Amino acid sequence: MSIAPVELEKPDSAQELARDVPWVTIVWNDPINTMSYVTYVFQSYFGYPRAKAEKLMRDVHEKGRAVVSTGSREEMERDTEAMHEFGLWATFRKDD
Amino acid sequence: MRHSFKSVRAGIQVNLDQDEREILVQLLGQLDDLLDDGLESSADPLAAMVGMSGVDPDSAEPPPSTPTDPAVARLLPDGNRDDPDVSAEYRRLTEFGLRARKRSGARLAAEALGRPEPIVLAQDEGLALLKSFTDVRLVLGERLELRTDADAEKLHERLWANDGDPTWLATAWIYESLTSWQEDLVAEVAKKR
Repeated sequence: MSIAPVELEKPDSAQELARDVPWVTIVWNDPINTMSYVTYVFQSYFGYPRAKAEKLMRDVHEKGRAVVSTGSREEMERDTEAMHEFGLWATFRKDD
Repeated sequence: MRHSFKSVRAGIQVNLDQDEREILVQLLGQLDDLLDDGLESSADPLAAMVGMSGVDPDSAEPPPSTPTDPAVARLLPDGNRDDPDVSAEYRRLTEFGLRARKRSGARLAAEALGRPEPIVLAQDEGLALLKSFTDVRLVLGERLELRTDADAEKLHERLWANDGDPTWLATAWIYESLTSWQEDLVAEVAKKR
């Protein structure tokens, strides 16, 4: 039994999040990086499960790019820098 | 088939022969040199290593712009395609640290590969080599003008058909060897996660 007060104003998720996290990191396809390496990077850096990492890798390969993370501008700059350190071709931008 | 890298209890064992390791060490040295913009000596190497700051505060140099060598530009690409100011700001904050970490990683990997056999890579050495494989392949891929997935397939076909001048064939052969070694290494590194 909890005596904590009931939370009255819980932010309504989707809209609130969209306002708070309007930036994205995009990874672009390139002919050099292999599928297994790209999958490994998505798993090890973002901590994504294998299935999600592979889905993103296939999107990059087949559609030419994929949004790999969403957050504040500072967070997306950090993710882009990490991707560049791994040699992936990444950019960050304000989400439309 | 022999695997170039194999997980063992203490780390990842290197099964490349001496000639192969010498080629790799040479390429890692070239990567290190290519990323030298002449600014590192005046900076705080520790801050750069841990990525605390991309900016060298003592530097009187102007903020970095997109590198003119396309291979270096591929190693240190623009961070934003919409707004040159945002891109310049990203480069000002990150390029110095990225250069320093890529260079120290290449040196760490080269040092490990220069040890007497049997060579077992510690975790940080394995990861450094994995990233350096990518950087060296990005540079060679740029020199070989690989722009699309089709280019990469064509390179493979031309190499096996012996279709090209000796320099091109040698570069393409090294590129393909690095690809295969990196594939072996990534499988072993992923196992250790």
